[in-house]
Amino acid sequence: MAKSDTPLLDELEKGKWPSFVKDMKQAAQKSPMAEDLLRQLELSYKDKIGHWKHGGIVGVKGYGAGVIGRYSDRPDLFPNVQAFHTMRVNHPTGWFYKTDALRNLCDVWDKHGSSLTNMHGATGDVILLGTKTEHLQSCFDDLSAAGFDLGGSGSALRTPSACVGPGRCEWACVDSLDVCYNLTMHYQDKMHRPMFPYKFKIKVSACANDCVASIARSDFSVIGTWKGDIQINQKEVLAYAVSAINIQTEVCDLCPTKCMEWNGKELKIYNEDCTRCMHCINLMSKALRPGKERGATILVGGKAPIVQGALLSWVIVPFMKLEPPYTELKDLIDRIQDWWDEHGKSRERLGELITRLGMRVFLRAVGLPAVPQMVKAPRTNPYVFFWPEEIQKEVK
Amino acid sequence: MGVNMSEDLKKQIVDLFHEKSKGDKKMFYIRDVTKWLPDVDRHTIHDAVKVLLDEGALVYWSSGSSTYLVLAEFFPKEEGSRS
Repeated sequence: MAKSDTPLLDELEKGKWPSFVKDMKQAAQKSPMAEDLLRQLELSYKDKIGHWKHGGIVGVKGYGAGVIGRYSDRPDLFPNVQAFHTMRVNHPTGWFYKTDALRNLCDVWDKHGSSLTNMHGATGDVILLGTKTEHLQSCFDDLSAAGFDLGGSGSALRTPSACVGPGRCEWACVDSLDVCYNLTMHYQDKMHRPMFPYKFKIKVSACANDCVASIARSDFSVIGTWKGDIQINQKEVLAYAVSAINIQTEVCDLCPTKCMEWNGKELKIYNEDCTRCMHCINLMSKALRPGKERGATILVGGKAPIVQGALLSWVIVPFMKLEPPYTELKDLIDRIQDWWDEHGKSRERLGELITRLGMRVFLRAVGLPAVPQMVKAPRTNPYVFFWPEEIQKEVK
Repeated sequence: MGVNMSEDLKKQIVDLFHEKSKGDKKMFYIRDVTKWLPDVDRHTIHDAVKVLLDEGALVYWSSGSSTYLVLAEFFPKEEGSRS
């Protein structure tokens, strides 16, 4: 049996999980770029150092984002990955593809790139891994002809993303797909022409299940919610009770605010104490539905840990009615981005800026009133919102 | 008047890029540019920089997470040799 060229990578094929090495080997059978990529990765494991040089070219006419330059620092050994640029392609909202669109996308990438893809990246884009400099423009042209556009990268508005929303989910309180698409089209210039201090991410979830994890991953989160009472179908509640669910232990006792009572016949919800955790609705989907008046909660400041630790988004608008053309939402985004753009340091995310300057400064700048729902976490002090002169006024 | 002012601003920005690029540092954040011109409206600077990008006087350089601006003449040649 022939000795493997990649003994260290081979180890990653063992175990019960799918292996990216297996996929790369499959691609390497027809792509010299993928073959050199494997060999360079093997060398990286051997040397215990990455052999990529990041950054550089943004080589598509009129665009300052969507291409991430990458070069091998050992082109002498791996000439086929001397340039191995990544292209970020704006995904269809909610990740709904027709199969012919996917085939077209793959055909374009087989023609211009390594055939390797990452479906999808953390922001949501289609990540096309590895093309040469001379293919960037022609690849972009072919992608455009197939109906695709590049997404955001660098210090720009990143490609907005949304959950599947009303396309597949009965809990959708807002049309997350339409909101996301509308914002994407409205902010094309901010996505393609980086002018921000750093990245800015918008994610839209149609309900509080937050399936795109907007609260943890975006600077500006839009999360569907409702006003008023959760709709109850007591007949269906009883049906759950006699079938599979212990309503007391599995629903009422697990409610984080204990806002539900079950007497064996009827379920009562104290809606004023409900924090929209969705647990009861998820568990008894036939019996409970979100309230009738629907809109979204707006939060800001989520991010992963880079400069500072991880931040979760913070409520700034408890309820906003969301209807096309979403003027109120866009006005708010513009005010927030403008304040961040003016005061943010380079590479400082919105959440970090708010942490540095304070929530009350932020609220005054964007013209939002302080409201009780803005408390960052249970048992935190909401009085940070008050300005000294307001406290003096209260004392008098 | 507006066109002239815009041309003046563009020239001012390019001159500043040349001046600031005299040392080893050639790449700058857009934030640096707005700091060089504290008396000019930030949005006006952004617009002027966009025009300079369109005209090819400035080019973007991106690390993937951050984007820099660099005079076209100082844009690194095609990389790939060992650093």
